[in-house]
Amino acid sequence: MKLKKLVIATLAASLMASGAARAADLSWMGYSYAEESAKPSVEKIIKGFEAKTGKTVEPIASSFGDMQKNLLLRARSKTLPSIAQISERWLPSLSKLPGLVDYNTVLGKEYLEKTYAPEALAMGQIDGKQLAIPLMSGSIGMVANQAVLDKAGIKDLPKTIEEFKTDLELIRDKVPNSVPYAMATKNNSDILVDFLTWEYVFGAHVIDPQGKVVVDSDASKKALAFLVDLMKNRLVAPEIGRPDARRLVGQNAAAFYLDAPQSRAFLRSFSGQGKAFDVNVKPMQVPSLKAGDTPVSIQWAHLIIAFAQSNPPTKEDANMMFAEYLGDDAVETQFPVEQSALPGTISARANPVVADDVYLTAWAKNNTHPLRNEVGIWSNGGELTDILAQEVQAALLAQKSPEEAIASMGERMKASMTKAGYAQ
Amino acid sequence: MSDVTLASGRLNYPVSPHARRGGLHAVQRRVGILMLAPAAIAFAIVILYPFFQALGLSLFEDTLQSIEPTFIGLANFKAILADPETWNSFGITVIYVGGATIGTLVLGLGWALILNQPFRGRKALRALTIMPWVVPSTVSAFIWAWIFNSRFGVINGIYLELGLIDVPKAWLSTPEGALIAVILTRIWRSIPLFMAFFLAGLQNVDQEQIDAARVDGAGNWAILRDHLLPHLRPVLIVVVVLGVIGGLQDFDTIYALTGGGPVSATSVLSISVYRKAFEQWDIGMASAMGVLWVATLLPPAYFYLRLLIKKGN
Repeated sequence: MKLKKLVIATLAASLMASGAARAADLSWMGYSYAEESAKPSVEKIIKGFEAKTGKTVEPIASSFGDMQKNLLLRARSKTLPSIAQISERWLPSLSKLPGLVDYNTVLGKEYLEKTYAPEALAMGQIDGKQLAIPLMSGSIGMVANQAVLDKAGIKDLPKTIEEFKTDLELIRDKVPNSVPYAMATKNNSDILVDFLTWEYVFGAHVIDPQGKVVVDSDASKKALAFLVDLMKNRLVAPEIGRPDARRLVGQNAAAFYLDAPQSRAFLRSFSGQGKAFDVNVKPMQVPSLKAGDTPVSIQWAHLIIAFAQSNPPTKEDANMMFAEYLGDDAVETQFPVEQSALPGTISARANPVVADDVYLTAWAKNNTHPLRNEVGIWSNGGELTDILAQEVQAALLAQKSPEEAIASMGERMKASMTKAGYAQ
Repeated sequence: MSDVTLASGRLNYPVSPHARRGGLHAVQRRVGILMLAPAAIAFAIVILYPFFQALGLSLFEDTLQSIEPTFIGLANFKAILADPETWNSFGITVIYVGGATIGTLVLGLGWALILNQPFRGRKALRALTIMPWVVPSTVSAFIWAWIFNSRFGVINGIYLELGLIDVPKAWLSTPEGALIAVILTRIWRSIPLFMAFFLAGLQNVDQEQIDAARVDGAGNWAILRDHLLPHLRPVLIVVVVLGVIGGLQDFDTIYALTGGGPVSATSVLSISVYRKAFEQWDIGMASAMGVLWVATLLPPAYFYLRLLIKKGN
């Protein structure tokens, strides 16, 4: 009798265990699922896929800040998800992960080129392989808050850095307790994007396409001196990261900041006014060094990478079916638009839902030539980001002069690149 | 001598021929080992195995670029010791641990002396004092981040109200301000524990001895110096050692409050290890730094264990 009970219990436990193991056909790990404002949209995608294919999806949330780290840790513990959402600048560092699928070999190069916008598709390519496909794309550009500009009596958006500085001073003097330009002065990855933008505005570069560190230049020193001057004149403030900047702009306490087109979604949320706040969100060109210069912006995209479920991976694998589904108009005219970003597919971009969106059109018009993030793309991008942010912070907090900070940044970056195998 | 004891000293009980010598002791030993086993297994899995793995990794080059880790011997240790950042980190750790331990010691003792006095509401105040210890460390960090915040902070609010400053000051953006903030947070969190130790010690003080000293004309300071502190000496040693160990282990409060910045002003050893591992993806170097970090923890831990064992004996 006892033996019988034991056998039944063992069988029940085994069945439960196998049921748990087969709980989902694929796992989707992404940061949008961890964001309150985007979670319902991700759930909609999952429901749509499950209804269409009968396959089940296990969503795994990971915050944006922890996503890259979590993927690398999961690779070590051999618990990688079937499919993951990544930022375009992480792709080079993740490109060596075991089992990463080359979409060309599964979905076909022709199909991908027919489906996705060329510049968006290019962000997922490394060494001729299509290691990621775009979920949504765009650029990191400048956003202005119309309500704050009105309070300061500013009629036109600034075009050059001189006009920009004049406007910032007006805001400082006429809008009490405001941060005229909510520049990122904390959080290394946020500082990186803001500093890179101004580097490009001043015609400077940090690392050339061959991996040579070129940051120690007069243009870089001028760019950093410009930012230090803004800090000295209380036109920017310390202790501000991207989330702080979004809150300040959303609460009409800052006039300008840099962000991805998702800005509108964040500001709707942080203002507490929802869509009513849209009238204040003005995409604009990043002020240029002199009138007529091409406005600067930085490439930005959410990409999808997949880890092989079979060897070799096939179109019938659940994760490949999901990846293909993400390129469907049902997803691409819904998710990116809800997130206030451009879809990655050609057909979704032509869809009236996207084409008639005034904000997205304005964003695309103002940021026509997004440049590559030339720091984050290297395999030692983490260390380079830390170095850059530390030196920029040191200059902003007057611990070093801009010249000293740039020289030190150059030396430290050269050492890091040499160690990573890039000759200097 | 009992009638069941022979002249040789051996017991004259009727004993089974199957009984083994020292049977009771052996059984006790086995039960002891059995009771210890779960804790020992958990310790081996959670602490020992990862430690030895980290020790092994510290001898390898293991970065994001390396598909397979490469054995490089002590090169990671050489690189770390030659790196000024490491020494900077050691220096910050010493200031942080020293400042936090001394600060907590003084304030914890003072607070214990106050709470040892008879007054109305003493019990409620004692219970309230435990709060900072009960609150999760990251929550404490966020409370202090708000207090020091440059735009909405309490300190700036008070200073502006009093007219002491014209514009808000960014306390956490100066190396000194950030370091003071993390030390104050640590002190605030540790006071309840230190206070509890001191209070327990003070309650064992012979009140008659204190009264006699007062009759002899001793003032408060003389009583503290000549009677209370000598009595609290063993407690003092224990709390200092525990304070040093706790300070050396601290990570979450500092990470949540300053992230190790500005630049690397609050980058104690634990933060440096995290940065090397999860921001720069250099697992080999992070492991080597972790080993050095453990090495700094060993002397106070050894001292503390010795104290405990001595006390036990």
